[in-house]
Amino acid sequence: MNHTVKSKLKWLSCMLAVPAITFAQDAQPTTSSYFSNALFDTLLVAILLLLILIVAMSNVLKNLTQSEYFQKKYKTTKEDESNKSTKVITLLALFSLLGVQLLAQTAEPVKSMVADDWRIGGLDGFTFYFLIALIVIEGIAIFILFNLIKGFIKSDTAAVKSVIDMTQGEVKVSKEKTIIDKLNASVDIDKEGEIMLDHDYDGIRELDNNLPPWWKYGFYLTIIIGIIYLINFYVLGTGDLQDVEYTKAMARAKLEIEEYMKTSANNVDESSVKMLEGLEIIAGKEVYIANCVACHGKLGEGGVGPNLTDAYWVHSGGIADIFKTIKYGWADKGMKSWKEDLSPMQIAQVSSYIKTLAGTNPPNGKAPQGDIYTEAGFKPVIDTTFVITDSLAVKNITKDSLTVKK
Amino acid sequence: MELEKFKYDNQIVKMFSIATVVWGLVGMLVGVIAAIQMYVPALSFDLPYTSFGRLRPLHTNAVIFAFVGNGIFMGVYYSLQRLVKARMFSDMLGKIHFWGWQLIIVLAAVSLLMGYTTGKEYAELEWPIDILITLVWVVFGWNMFGTIIKRRERHLYVAIWFYIATFVTVAMLHITNSMEIPVSLTKSYSWYAGVQDALVQWWYGHNAVAFFLTTPYLGLMYYFIPKAANRPVYSYRLSIIHFWSLIFLYIWAGPHHLLYTAVPDWAQSLGVVFSVMLIAPSWGGMINGLLTLRGAWDKVREDVVLKFMVVAVTAYGMATFEGPMLSLKNVSAIAHYTDWIVAHVHVGALGWNGFLTFGILYFLIPKMYRTKLYSQKLANTHFWIGTLGILLYAVPMYWAGFMQSSMWKDFTPEGQLKWQFLDTVTKMIPFYAARSIGGTLYLIGAIIMAFNLYKTAKAGSFLADEDAEAMALTKNYQGHSTDHWHRWIERKPIQLMIVSLVVVIIGGVIEIVPTFLIKSNIPTIASVKPYTPLELEGRDIYIREGCYVCHSQMIRPFRHETARYGEYSKAGEFVYDHPFQWGSKRTGPDLAREGGKYPDSWHYNHMLEPNSMSPGSIMPTYSWLLDDDLDLSTLKSKIKAMQTLGVPYPVGYADIAEADLNKQAEIIAANLKKDGIETSPKKEIIAMIAYLQRMGTDIKKTAVADTLKK
Repeated sequence: MNHTVKSKLKWLSCMLAVPAITFAQDAQPTTSSYFSNALFDTLLVAILLLLILIVAMSNVLKNLTQSEYFQKKYKTTKEDESNKSTKVITLLALFSLLGVQLLAQTAEPVKSMVADDWRIGGLDGFTFYFLIALIVIEGIAIFILFNLIKGFIKSDTAAVKSVIDMTQGEVKVSKEKTIIDKLNASVDIDKEGEIMLDHDYDGIRELDNNLPPWWKYGFYLTIIIGIIYLINFYVLGTGDLQDVEYTKAMARAKLEIEEYMKTSANNVDESSVKMLEGLEIIAGKEVYIANCVACHGKLGEGGVGPNLTDAYWVHSGGIADIFKTIKYGWADKGMKSWKEDLSPMQIAQVSSYIKTLAGTNPPNGKAPQGDIYTEAGFKPVIDTTFVITDSLAVKNITKDSLTVKK
Repeated sequence: MELEKFKYDNQIVKMFSIATVVWGLVGMLVGVIAAIQMYVPALSFDLPYTSFGRLRPLHTNAVIFAFVGNGIFMGVYYSLQRLVKARMFSDMLGKIHFWGWQLIIVLAAVSLLMGYTTGKEYAELEWPIDILITLVWVVFGWNMFGTIIKRRERHLYVAIWFYIATFVTVAMLHITNSMEIPVSLTKSYSWYAGVQDALVQWWYGHNAVAFFLTTPYLGLMYYFIPKAANRPVYSYRLSIIHFWSLIFLYIWAGPHHLLYTAVPDWAQSLGVVFSVMLIAPSWGGMINGLLTLRGAWDKVREDVVLKFMVVAVTAYGMATFEGPMLSLKNVSAIAHYTDWIVAHVHVGALGWNGFLTFGILYFLIPKMYRTKLYSQKLANTHFWIGTLGILLYAVPMYWAGFMQSSMWKDFTPEGQLKWQFLDTVTKMIPFYAARSIGGTLYLIGAIIMAFNLYKTAKAGSFLADEDAEAMALTKNYQGHSTDHWHRWIERKPIQLMIVSLVVVIIGGVIEIVPTFLIKSNIPTIASVKPYTPLELEGRDIYIREGCYVCHSQMIRPFRHETARYGEYSKAGEFVYDHPFQWGSKRTGPDLAREGGKYPDSWHYNHMLEPNSMSPGSIMPTYSWLLDDDLDLSTLKSKIKAMQTLGVPYPVGYADIAEADLNKQAEIIAANLKKDGIETSPKKEIIAMIAYLQRMGTDIKKTAVADTLKK
């Protein structure tokens, strides 16, 4: 009888583990980002942790049912309850089996799912509810196991008490075993003598308690997880290593942005940008104050970067040119690309604001750099003495000279 | 067999206990100052010696090697004598050990503040000190094994297994990681470069946590908890299994500090799985500690020593569960480079190491001074203030880390980064302030303890030589056939040491050696060239000022990182980086592709006054770089050292390096002049700018060349 319960429990654990693992692997080739999804991983970890708990609890139950006391009592009083539990366990196992079946049937639709079908915390609905269902099942299993154990312990202590009361009236009632003791399979404190080792180090004695079952099985589980992890990446190749993960993330982001841009007024680039007016200029000023002042000065007078109020432009001064300069930057001249920081609309706004600075002639204006620019697109070269050199370009020369000397 | 009389040496324990308290206070005080500097940068007083980049290594070194180090020796010297029933092998070796270690600490403090550093985290000390550490460590081992050899207890108790593993593994780690080629008395270059240096360094760094902060303290736990609680150790077989599995598995976990970096994938994966497998062995120690208190929990409510120890072991359990979780790649993707890690290590340091040390001190001092603790009340106050301090430290840091990481990853629907890096920094300031309050509380607790212990010592009379007696060991001992199989090795200290060494060597060899032997692990990039002399000098200033403490040089392959910093970092880019400077924390932005991002004048102004270029920045000023002349006296030896390390400078380049350096310096000075900055090309800032402008640019040259070809 005991044996059946035990094997049932083991079977149950396996049933719960199998769907989680097979599911994770099935999911891999389809949308490999399952494992990079925080929610998915959190749920998976929760499932595994609960599984450890279930294994541990069933082990406690096993220990309990194997105690001599229950060996005797089992056949008479516990018949009903164990029958009940067996039924429940069978039911649970069936339920999780059903889960696997369901999964197998729906595996196809999962495969065809694309990025835009990601709903709950980045997971498609099916995956999400399936994982939640697994957790609920595990919760029920734990609840049942807990009740079973509690029932055992209660009758255990009651019986011990009555035995002690009957035989030796005055003897102190032995300490009740706590749940923690049961979980750890610890030997009773008053029976410690039996497992006390015979050595003594400076008065320190050692007991030889069992390895706590939850600890032992937890250890096994982490080893299994480790092996599955390595198999996933290096044998089956179902997991994405970081380069592939990155490529996929970038592709997904690109899709998302394109999708958004279709409906957004933000869709402006260097070929379509036009001079803006009114409120847009004020918005542009805000962008300017937040990002540009450090190098180009509060009023555009220049500093580390060129003066933006004069007629001279290093990279030409049309609205599209300025837009382009801000968007892509001129790395060799120390102008960084802002396209990852500012939206196209913001770049258009700040470009327009910069155009309005022309001729404002602020104090401490930096000397002109670049060529004169007139709006018609006509660019006469006035002053050829202004040639911008930059440390990087020249530095390269130094390095070249270095190699020449070889 | 006759009963032998002998005396335990308490004098050496007393010396180490005083050192523990004193250095503990110093280390914590430096920590508090550094914590406040993070929101009051002016507290660096515009002095090189007190800037954050130098104080932070001082704090970590002081706390790890001075506070915890002396704590280890205090506990080992006390417990070892009693566990093997023998006086320490040699009083003289003990004294050499003690004064040698204190000398190392003083030299470390001075040299770190002077800016003499190798630039490798937790191994910053320069080569002469490294050698001194090795010698003193050997003295410690000699004294320990001498004592064990003349023991009167046949078998070695579990605490001693941990001491032996600590001794042998720390020696291995320290020597391997400190392989460096000296340039002068105060400067050396790491033998390894780039990816290899990173792997060796984090193999060391991770296992410094394992074998300096964990195994010796587990040994102390195994002695002091059963002693203080007067209870038998919970499970002998758990001790055996968790000891061997812990030391075997720990060594492998190093690469979890390098997830998503340019380290080969397989090494990262090994780091992940071995970290996960490490949960149970780590928890084995916690379980054995806590369950030893089974049946003594009423005592824990009364006894302040046990209170400290229970919190310590619990903090150990929390930190060692969190560690493997942080080693999962997707959690690391969130937590790495943030204050989350800072919170994690402080739960370990303040909770586990700090509280266990305090518990031991409260246990030892009254015993050795044959009196009662001066004030139980003050000790309880210390306990509560300390606990509150840990909470106030950790909670804001967890919050800050999580928040900053989320901000880094935020994109607008248009696909732009939602936050400038600086925005994410200024949001951290309230958390930094709260953290410094937590740290201050913890320090106040420690000061209360120092006072309490001082008063206790004053009231008692110190027992320098404690009488003891034990039977001598008989020769020709035969084990019983009924003995546990493990009893054999408990009788053989040397074999125990050798087996431990073999067990800890395996992981390191498998993870590190292939990166040297198999070329595909670090694909070379043709356009990556050695640093010019000026850039090399600039890099050494970068190392000297401890820039790596706040700035990483490793862009991970994430969309938000490549958007913010540029193309993700490749293994082949670091082949000339002796040492690597990937960093582990982004208080400031990543610098791997800083080159060419801003004009030279931007950097000049930024070093003088960071706020002028980045309003709201919490970076301190580095004005001395603008004033001080670059020291070129070691340039020749630097180039030669680099050549020895395999950096392909042309033959005889050392002789003309200075001329090249001057040429490049002139160009930068001229460039600054165009932006209205007059400065001599001889200043340190010029070298610094040269290095910053070079960073991460080599790989772009391939891109340009490729486009030209098309």
